[in-house]
This record gives sequence, C-alpha cells and structure tokens, in this order.
Amino acid sequence: MWPIPDILLDINFFQITSSYIFRLILEGLLIGIIYSLMALGLTLIFSVLNIVSFAHGEFYMIGGYVVYVLLTRFKGMPGLVGIVVAALVTFLIGAVFERLFLQPMAKGKVDRPSEYAILVTFGLSFFLQFVLLGIMGPFPKKAPRFWSFPPIDLGVIRTTKATLFLGNIPLSGGRIFAAIIALLALGAMLWFMFRTWTGWALQAVSQDRNAAAVVGINPLTMNTLAFALGAMLAGLAGAVLVTVFSWVPWVGVPASAKSFVIIVLGGMGSIPGSLVGGLILGVVESLGTGLFPDPARAQAYRDVFGLIIFALVLWLKPTGLFGREL
Amino acid sequence: MKFRRIYILWGLTGIFLLGLALYPPLVGLQPYWILVGMTALFYAILASSWSLLAGYTGQFSFAHMAFMGLGTYAAGILIRDVGLKPWQATIGGILITGLVGLVIGYLCLRMRAVYLALFTIAFAEIFRLVVKAEVKFTGGPNGLEIPPYTIPDALQAVFRFFIPYWDANPYVPAYYFMAVLFFVSLLFMFMLVRSRFGIFFRAVREDEEAAAALGVHVVNTRVLAFVVSSMIAGFAGIVFHHFIGLIVPDQMQIGRMSLIIAMAVIGGSQNLIGAALGAIFIHFSLEWLQSIPLPVAVLQQLLFLEDIGFSVDLNAGVLRTNAWRMVGFGLLLMLTLRFWQNGLISPVLDWLARREAAETVAQRFQAERDMDAIDDVQAITNPAEAGNPSSSSEPAS
Amino acid sequence: MSQRNGTIRLEVRNVIKNFGGLQALKGVTLNIEGPQLVGLIGPNGAGKTTLTNIITGLLKPSQGQVWFNGKRIDTLRPYHIARLGIGRTFQVTRAFRRMTVLENMLAPGLVKHPYMSRKELEKRAYEIMEFLTIDHLRHEMGGNLSGGQQKLLELARLLMLEPDLIILDEPFAGVHPKLQRTIYDYIQRVREQGKAIILISHDMESIFTLSERLVVLNFGEIIADGPPEEVKNDPAVIEAYLGKEEEDEFI
Repeated sequence: MWPIPDILLDINFFQITSSYIFRLILEGLLIGIIYSLMALGLTLIFSVLNIVSFAHGEFYMIGGYVVYVLLTRFKGMPGLVGIVVAALVTFLIGAVFERLFLQPMAKGKVDRPSEYAILVTFGLSFFLQFVLLGIMGPFPKKAPRFWSFPPIDLGVIRTTKATLFLGNIPLSGGRIFAAIIALLALGAMLWFMFRTWTGWALQAVSQDRNAAAVVGINPLTMNTLAFALGAMLAGLAGAVLVTVFSWVPWVGVPASAKSFVIIVLGGMGSIPGSLVGGLILGVVESLGTGLFPDPARAQAYRDVFGLIIFALVLWLKPTGLFGREL
Repeated sequence: MKFRRIYILWGLTGIFLLGLALYPPLVGLQPYWILVGMTALFYAILASSWSLLAGYTGQFSFAHMAFMGLGTYAAGILIRDVGLKPWQATIGGILITGLVGLVIGYLCLRMRAVYLALFTIAFAEIFRLVVKAEVKFTGGPNGLEIPPYTIPDALQAVFRFFIPYWDANPYVPAYYFMAVLFFVSLLFMFMLVRSRFGIFFRAVREDEEAAAALGVHVVNTRVLAFVVSSMIAGFAGIVFHHFIGLIVPDQMQIGRMSLIIAMAVIGGSQNLIGAALGAIFIHFSLEWLQSIPLPVAVLQQLLFLEDIGFSVDLNAGVLRTNAWRMVGFGLLLMLTLRFWQNGLISPVLDWLARREAAETVAQRFQAERDMDAIDDVQAITNPAEAGNPSSSSEPAS
Repeated sequence: MSQRNGTIRLEVRNVIKNFGGLQALKGVTLNIEGPQLVGLIGPNGAGKTTLTNIITGLLKPSQGQVWFNGKRIDTLRPYHIARLGIGRTFQVTRAFRRMTVLENMLAPGLVKHPYMSRKELEKRAYEIMEFLTIDHLRHEMGGNLSGGQQKLLELARLLMLEPDLIILDEPFAGVHPKLQRTIYDYIQRVREQGKAIILISHDMESIFTLSERLVVLNFGEIIADGPPEEVKNDPAVIEAYLGKEEEDEFI
C-alpha cells in the first residue's frame, strides 16, 4: 500500500459542492471574456502583420495605469471616460511604435524580419516596463471602485453595492463589470471586423497582401491600424481590470503569457480560436485554483494551469484548436 | 613585416586579458568594485551563452534567467535536502537544468522560432511565481541559502603564491573563480561554434529546409544549442550564487532577462565575444549611471525630475536615475535592432578579424558585373530561344 | 568526387497528394533503377515540384509509398532521406546567406563524414568548387554571390553529401549562359560517376540532349515515359503539354 500523499489530505472535501463548482465555472467565464479580448488583439496583430507582439502585456499594464491616474487625479470623473482615454492612449502608442519600428520591416528595410520582430517588440516591452516603473514606482496601486450596482432583489438575483448574488453564489461585482465592458468591446470589435469596409480590408490584407494591394488597400496603413487596434484591446482589458487587481509595472508579464497560451491553444491567427481559447483558459484556471489543495499557494499556481495547457497543445496539436494545418 | 588588422585584434585581446587578470588591484581591492566586476562577468557569460542560441541558431529563449535560477535552486536544494557537497550539487544542478532544457527544447523547437519565445516567456514568469510561492521548499521571496565552496588548503596555497592579495577580502577568490569560469565557458562555446555543430547551427538558422535536404537534423541541432546554452546559464548561476551565498526569486525577473538580451543585442549577438563585451560595458555603464555626480547648481535646476522618479541628492551632489537608466538601455536596444542589426561591438571585431578583405570586395564587383551581363544576354537571347520544342511539332494543336 | 558503389533503386508507388480539394498528384508510379538521367517535364502546375518534395520528404503523400534501395522512405523525415542518399536542389536558390561559400560546402560534408579531418574535407570541397568555378569565392558570404553563382554553390554543396540520386529542380533557370554551360558539364560529369539524376527543367534543348529517359507529367499524372525521341513524338504529350503552354518557355 502506498501512503496517501499529504497534499491530498489537505483538500477540504466539504468545500467541494456542485454550487461551488458552478461558481468557479462562472468566475472562470467572467475572467475568460477579458482574456478573449486580449487574445483577440494579439490575433489581429498576428493575422495582419504575421508577428507576435511581445509587448502585448505592457499595453494592458498601461491601460490600467491610465485609468488609475485619471481616477486618482480627477476625483469624481466617470470611470467610462477613463476607459476611453486608456483605449486612445494605447492605440496611439501602438500606432507610433508600428510606424517607427515595424513599418521598416514591412517595407523590407530590415534583414531577418522574423528575428527582428520578436526582439523589437520584446525591446518595447522592456522599455515600457521601466518607463512606467520610473513614473509610477514599484509599489502596487489599486484604482478606486467607480460604480456600484443598483439595488436589485429578484429572489434569485440579488445585489449589494459591490457583489451580485446568484442564488447563494456571490460573484465579485468588479469582475462582472469588467466582463460586461469587455463583452461590449468584443462585440464592437467583431462588428468592426466583419461588417465595415475597413474591417474587410484588414481581413483582405491578412489573407493576401498582394491581392489586397491590387484592389486599392494600402497594406502599410492596415498594418498600423491592426497593431494599434491590437494594442488598444490589450489596453481596454487592463483598463477594466485595474479596479479588480493591484497594479505594478510588471503586471503585464503574466497577462501576456496568458494571451500567448490562448493564441496557441486556439490556433495562431484564428479569431474563433482566440475567443474560445480565452474562455477555456479562464475556466481551467478558475477550477484549478479553486480546487487546489492549499489555498495559501493556490493563487501562485493559477498561471501554472495555463503553462500545462500550453505544453499539452505544443505536444499534441501544435496547430491549435482552430489552426490551419501546416 | 606587413601590417595586418588582425594584429590590432591580438593586441586588444592581450590588453583585455591583462585587465581581466589585474582587475582587483586596479580597483584598489575595494570589495564593492570587485563585486561589480564579478557581476559583470556573470552577466557576460549569460549574454554570450544567450547569443549562442539566438545568434547562431536564430531561436530566442526568454527563460535564460529562469534556467540560471533553476540550476541554482536545484543545487541549493540538493545541498540542503540531499546533503551533497557543493561541488557535487553544482554538477547535479547543471544536469537538472539540461534535463528541463531537453524537455522544453523537444516541445518547442519543432516549430517556428516564435513558439520557443512564446513558451519560454510563459515558463520563466510562472517558474518564478511558483518558486516565490513554495516557501517551504525554496525559501519563497526571502531566497534560498547557497553555502560557499570549500577550497582545499593546498589549492589555496598555490593561489596565494601566484596572487599575493588573495586573502585581502573574500571577494578576491570569488572574482578569480568567476573570471576562470568566464574564460572557460567562452572557450568552450567558441570551440563548439567552430566544430561541425557550429556549422549546423548556422545552416539551420539560415534555411531550415535546405539544411534538412543536406542531411542536417534540424530539431536535434536546435535542441543541442538550447540545452548547451541553458546549461551554461545554470552553471554560471550556481557558481555566482555560491559566492553570493543567497538566491532570491527576483533574480529571475523578466526585467533582468531583458537586460541580458539588451546586452547581447547591443554587443552583437552574432558574435559570442561581442555579446560578452556588450554585457561588461553595459554593466559598468549602469553602475556609473546609478548616481551621476553633477554640480549642485545644475542639480537644483533638475529638481523637477523628482516628479518622474529620479532622486536629486543635493548633499552628495549626485543625480540618482533609479529605473530611468534601464529605460535608456531599452531605447538603445530598440534603436540597435533597427539601425545596427549586427550590434555595436561585433562588427568591429568581425572587421578586424576578416580575412582577405581586399580580394572579397573585388569579387563583389565581379559578381555585380555578372549580374548585369545576365540581364543583357537574356534580353538578347530570350526571344530567339522561346518556343523551342513546339517549333518541331507545331501541327498538333 | 568519389565513385559510388551498390545499386540505386527508387520506386514511387501510386502516390496521390491532395491539397485541400485539389489533387496535385493522381497516382504517380515511377521506377528508377541504376544510374541514369531522367528528365522530368510538364507544364506549370503539373506536379513536378510536389513529386520532388514527396520523394525528399518535405511533403507526405496522401496515399501511396516511396521506396529507396529497399527501404520505405515516405514516412521518413527529410534529413533522414538525405542521409540515405537522395540529394536535391531547390527551384529558388537557397544558399546559406550568412555563411561563407566554404562553410556552405562543409555543412553537408560534415553530415556525411563527421569525423573526417577538416583539412581533408576542405580539400574535397576545393576540388568540387574548382570544377564549378567558384573556388575563388570561398571566403565570400553566400548572400553576396550573384544568382548564378548561388546556383553553382548549391550544386557544389550537394555533391559534398555524396548522394546516389540527385534531383535538380530547374538548374538552368535565371543563369548566365556561360554558367549554364558549366552546369551542363556538371550534370554530364555527375552522370558519368554512376549516379542517378532526375532533371526538372523548362530548358527543352538541354533536357532533350541530356536525358536518357523522359517522363512527362500533366495534371498530376504521368502521360508519357520513355526515350526522349519517342516521347517527343507522342501525340498525348504534344496535345497536353506542347500545344497550349506557349508562354511557359519565358519563365
């Protein structure tokens, strides 16, 4: 007989009820929507420019800091204004960077473009992290809550100021709020991609640059637009989450690691892949963390589940769920 | 005797090696500066081993610092929990690093370069978080103690004979161990890239399919480079931290990794020596930039900088740049990539070492003339040659 | 340039390759036994390069098998097939651009003879480079060579692997006429050494004079196979290939 490992004895089995599992799945889906939003940005960049932006997490980080600074400097400002400003700022930084550093690559002025793309976006992440470290300092910041639920009592759904109860399941209001904004942004983005001329132009460029150029689309403009929009989506994700998590200059590193897991899981360049992948990662993380034997260490292991998914996908199906066969 | 540029290179190498050997007395045996020199050498090993992978095989690992930490933690735990001697644990730590590198290598290196980059960045960050959380096992944020090496007395006596200031302070032996490690690991990597594996590394970097068509095992070649590069990082980490006595998880921060990459790229990752020199140069620059001595009058004008994270110390008469010195190197990294893709130091070394330079320039002109001739000839001959076989069997259609 | 020994036997057995809905090869069967020079022709999109890629392992066939010297190779990886003795060049030249010409030569040489002294290997490389008139460029970077010189380098590099079967994909395309002559001589000389060669070319004159056997591929099927004189007058070939693709010759 093998002795039962200590770690299994630590599980509090009374805690695991179906409503607890249900709550974990719901929480996972809520955070998963925001992961999807971030991953969609990375997918957009990958499908149009054919590069992975290693500075994706830093746009997320900047989005959060913009909201934080606005809310603490101008008391009583509507939070939505902060979110819009964060989107604009990250859009602009993305556009400027793309013009200065990635456009020469698209024009063929740079040797070994694939190596260059990895290193220069990584260089940007290095640069932005330390700029923000210089300005904001190393200590964690947390933005004040700038909304509250209207009091509702419908029996099944009840609210307090910051929490929503679904039956007896409490859900953090901050996450619900963030998920709603993210859902709106996702919807707007998908509408833009599939229902507007510019969105079609972006897709055309992602499928065939030369053919797109022939029908009068300027691929260089589309590159800039795609990178800036991708950065903006990451910025939005940061902006909605800054009231939930505490913010440090390197908060973007695990965030971008999660986006990488999602795009590889969903298949590089696949829009449905990034949406589904985000939800899967959210649920897996939430379940894994919630059922982890030692609650003290559970949060640290939250990201490990993503890494395990990453390794499994690389091992079993490197093209991902929705990826094109290579 | 005719003067050749290679003599300059030999001369510079001599001066560098002499400087390396005499560094402690040159800084007056001050412990602080010896430590700075030792750290510079540590970073130099990391930067050049990173270049072995990045410059020679075109793959990018962002887990180089994580492997450094992995080896060190493994060695520390082997000493504490298994009871190995420090030198045994050093070997054990290197082997564990290699094993993990092997697994990650086979997982990621079958695909395009970006997959290794994606996976290693996730691995590095998550490994650090786990180390930080596993307080019982790794000491958590407070770090893990790494006991020092015990050097046999007989060996000590030999060192004392050659290095009279050996006992001046404990950093002197540490520095010399690091210097020897630096020299040996560079020599090892240099021999590796001159061997057949070095040729395979570059062939795979240049054109994966063509290399495979010539019988080069692409995946194994890349994995070899990745494992060797990771093991050297682990080795350097173990030796360095044996002398420091402690490793903390924040040593593996992505910021440190970025700095190593900046060092390698600014030095020039196509050349191991270039990357190492880049690391030494940047480490000393960072040291100097930490507090820039300025006249008080100037400093008073600069007080506004305090708002964005600088500190102005009027008493000491220095401007402390804090995080901003790193910002400068981040910018320099991006500019180097954009405008001097081969780095700032490597091209000079390559120029000094280049053989038969005069002849090759002439040949480049010859090649261009050939190209022109091809265009001319094609313009003349193509119309005449067109439709060659059909002329004999015209009626068919 | 060493003489080969033993037999050469390549069998392509009923190979089918689908790309999505498109069938690029519709059951190709091809046997090559012993040293010979096989010309492989066909209009653009006939499947010549696809067939080459399947033989050398870059693509896996959807159905069918490839055997080489009694060993099934369609399941093997490209490096393995190369080591078994099938060498190839690419339609677009693929010299290692940031390696010197000599290093380009050494890469396959070191695959074939990992423990041979560098001096001996370099001597062999020089012999081949001298024959292909690129020996004076030995310390030049591959990327600095002209297009024609790169093509010569690729052919030279191939011989360092000492393959039994060589597949040459458009060796004459975009090459200076003077260099074309060198390549022509090279093919003849390699043939005389007792190697088998599959030559893919749009240069009809060379292919008709060089080939001992001509295989015509059209829409993924072999429509003719035999001595060049016979194939030249085959009505199916004339209709399918020579009749309509006039502009092909300019490429």
